[in-house]
Amino acid sequence: MEQKKKKTSSAKTLQTAREAGNFGKRILASARLAAEEGKPVAWSMVDWWLGGTIAKAIGIELCYPENYGAFCAAVRKAEPFLDYAENDGVPNTTCGYARNGIGYTRRLKENNFIIPEDAPGGGMPKPLFLLGCGAVCDARYKWFQSMGRYMDVPVWTLEFPQTGVAEFFMPGYKEENIKFMVRELRSFVEFLEKLTGRKMDWDNLSERLDTTFKTHELAHKVDLLRKSVPSPAVNTDFWAIMIPHLYLPDDKEALAFYQRVYEEVKYKVDNKIGAIPNEKYRMAFAELPPWHTLGIFDEFAAKHGIAFAIESWNYHAPSPLPESEREGVNDPLELIARYSFHKFNEYTPTAQLNCMDPTIFTAPYLKWVEDYRIDGLFCHPLLSCRPATYTLMHLRNLLMEKCKVPSVVVEGDIVDLRVFNEEEAHVKIEAFIETMDHYREIRKKEGFEW
Amino acid sequence: MNELKGLARAAQIYLDPQQRARELKAEGKKIAGYLCCYPPVEIMTALGYVPIRILGDMNEPITEADAYLPTVMCAFYRSILDVAMKGRYDFLDAFIGAHACDGAERVSYIWRSYLKSPCSFYLDVPHSNHAAAIDFFKVQLNYLKDELEKTSGCNFSQEALREAVKLYNKQRSLVRSLYKLNRQDPPLVSGSEMLQVMVSIMCIPAEEGNSLLEEVIEEVSNRSAGPGQKKGRILIWGSLIDNIAMTKLIEDCGLNIVIDDTAIGTRSFWVDVDETSDPFEGLAVRYLDKIVCPRTFRDTKGTRSEDLDNRFKYLKIMAKEWNVNGVYFNIIRNCDIHGYEIPEVRDYFEDIGIPVLVIEQDYSTTALEPLRTRFQAFAENIG
Ligand code: SF4
Repeated sequence: MEQKKKKTSSAKTLQTAREAGNFGKRILASARLAAEEGKPVAWSMVDWWLGGTIAKAIGIELCYPENYGAFCAAVRKAEPFLDYAENDGVPNTTCGYARNGIGYTRRLKENNFIIPEDAPGGGMPKPLFLLGCGAVCDARYKWFQSMGRYMDVPVWTLEFPQTGVAEFFMPGYKEENIKFMVRELRSFVEFLEKLTGRKMDWDNLSERLDTTFKTHELAHKVDLLRKSVPSPAVNTDFWAIMIPHLYLPDDKEALAFYQRVYEEVKYKVDNKIGAIPNEKYRMAFAELPPWHTLGIFDEFAAKHGIAFAIESWNYHAPSPLPESEREGVNDPLELIARYSFHKFNEYTPTAQLNCMDPTIFTAPYLKWVEDYRIDGLFCHPLLSCRPATYTLMHLRNLLMEKCKVPSVVVEGDIVDLRVFNEEEAHVKIEAFIETMDHYREIRKKEGFEW
Repeated sequence: MNELKGLARAAQIYLDPQQRARELKAEGKKIAGYLCCYPPVEIMTALGYVPIRILGDMNEPITEADAYLPTVMCAFYRSILDVAMKGRYDFLDAFIGAHACDGAERVSYIWRSYLKSPCSFYLDVPHSNHAAAIDFFKVQLNYLKDELEKTSGCNFSQEALREAVKLYNKQRSLVRSLYKLNRQDPPLVSGSEMLQVMVSIMCIPAEEGNSLLEEVIEEVSNRSAGPGQKKGRILIWGSLIDNIAMTKLIEDCGLNIVIDDTAIGTRSFWVDVDETSDPFEGLAVRYLDKIVCPRTFRDTKGTRSEDLDNRFKYLKIMAKEWNVNGVYFNIIRNCDIHGYEIPEVRDYFEDIGIPVLVIEQDYSTTALEPLRTRFQAFAENIG
């Protein structure tokens, strides 16, 4: 399979980023151990801290098929699972993570739910239930529903309201959303209690939430530090360090880890140490990375001095929940609802200012290009993750129209390495350098600050 | 003004579905365009708007939308934005987007960013039929009402909404009566005729639509020559069809389309709104819970086979009552909502001995011809 001698993974520039991979492995190992000990395990979608924390507080171990998809892609072991899902009739246009998960599940079933020996990363054990989610994409619940086909286990879908920009500002609208989310979370707790025969441990949940907020606050502070020039960390660092804050933010080890990430990045900022030796251009990346070929960003850095200063809005921790939203809120479920809603809507004022929709995947970049002094956007339309791709053209138009920031489009996929053409990516970036120079001049003439 | 009646009238409206709305607009009526089958037409009607379903165009090459939407997106929604960018819906007084699926959601957003109409609302349709979701949807419907009211020029009244519910329930009952005429063999209405009627009634005022349906029912009930006997009696399940080039191709291959479960077909008409004391309650339940589309998640029920029955039993009933001997899954490429469901629905039908043909198509009349041999082979297979 692997004819190329070339390195496909990134070397990463932060020491802490190099260590972050352990968290991914730990998630899988803990799930397997729990399964061996007869403890409940569930498969969860990334749900922006809505249900995962609740499930863990009642004593359920989680693993994440989405993350497993990225892992299988990174070690270039996803293809057989993709084929196996497609063989059963799942269209090859559906999400790559989903097909990876469906193919894996089909194999697991055929192996009588004993993890196949050759499963990448040791594999995921059979779950007690599947936790889907309504945020961001239809795959998040349709994929999980379709995995139920191979396992006679229940699927729970956590609702997540999708808010329009004008609607967000309508009187009472936001509170109605929160009310809805809280009721949904309460139903989820009831579902868990019934399924496991356990009672919710509310103190444990509050403690986990507290840790989550602390971990995320540090993650957010790291994001703020990355505004510095030269950039103290880059996209490939972020895609490694995000694992603990996305999947394990309520874990004390994740918190301690982020403390170290913060210190490392802070040190670099204080001492003006750039992530890459000779930063000439600062780029943003939207949205999901080519996991199978992350090494290409090291090459762009070495060849052209490109530092990817910010990326992948969806994976970032939000800014801390404003005090006004926390005040008087004693119900942890309400706190969770408010926080998750905040993640998805904190850039809505930017969207309103620019008379555009949507907030998700789009408005954050309008703010970021200025905050991070971005010269160009790298758009990565994905063959199989359409939700993160739908708004890319729109985003390109907006960045050019409102901020005179150009973009380059390199097609690819999160999982399927067959559709990513490295040579073409190099040629395009080569040509894009001039475009970035040109628009720097234009921005200068038009009075932009960067 | 219009001499044509029944099927001929439907065929005429179908050729230019927005023409009647433009005429009404010239007469001073307000027109509301909406996406998919989730924004309740009753609310628009109660506020004096003429609701029209926004459609794509399989005949129109997508050119304008390329600058706004990637090619990997559902071609139906790309087409919608394309024709809108080309000005086809410039006459709308209100645009109602909806979170029916990812495609509908993102196109609603992008539409609003570039095409401004006096009123615009994005209807968040929850993902499930949970009790809290239905209540939340009811709140959403009230927001929709408030927004429409601002520009409608008339005041909302519960009475007008109740009347609109009755009017559309009558339409639904007429549509069901029309489809029932296809239970016999040969069926009385061809799939292409049915589609012309469905497109028509979604693009003209409900009263006119109801008269049209009555005319069509009378006409076809008395006709001597309908579509005639063919090798197969099929059910179409999946993404919508809004162009008769597709249905004609299927029919040319020896298949009668006797029933469907698609959004420009039974899915939009099959169930009524209950006449509840608070009409918003009946609307919320009907649109979110009673419309059965794979976009709405239903909690897992009992064992695997009980769960499948809970989700798909209506299809088994349709197949039996319309006596179908084959099912065609119409999947517009990149339609995730139906895509993820394919293996389950396929097995569900095959388990009751009904063969299935799955085709992913590109929502373009120029790409249809290569599908002919597959329909022919399917007809041979089941005939
Ligand atoms: S966001 Fe994209 S990659 Fe992630 S689950 Fe949804 S479709 Fe798949």
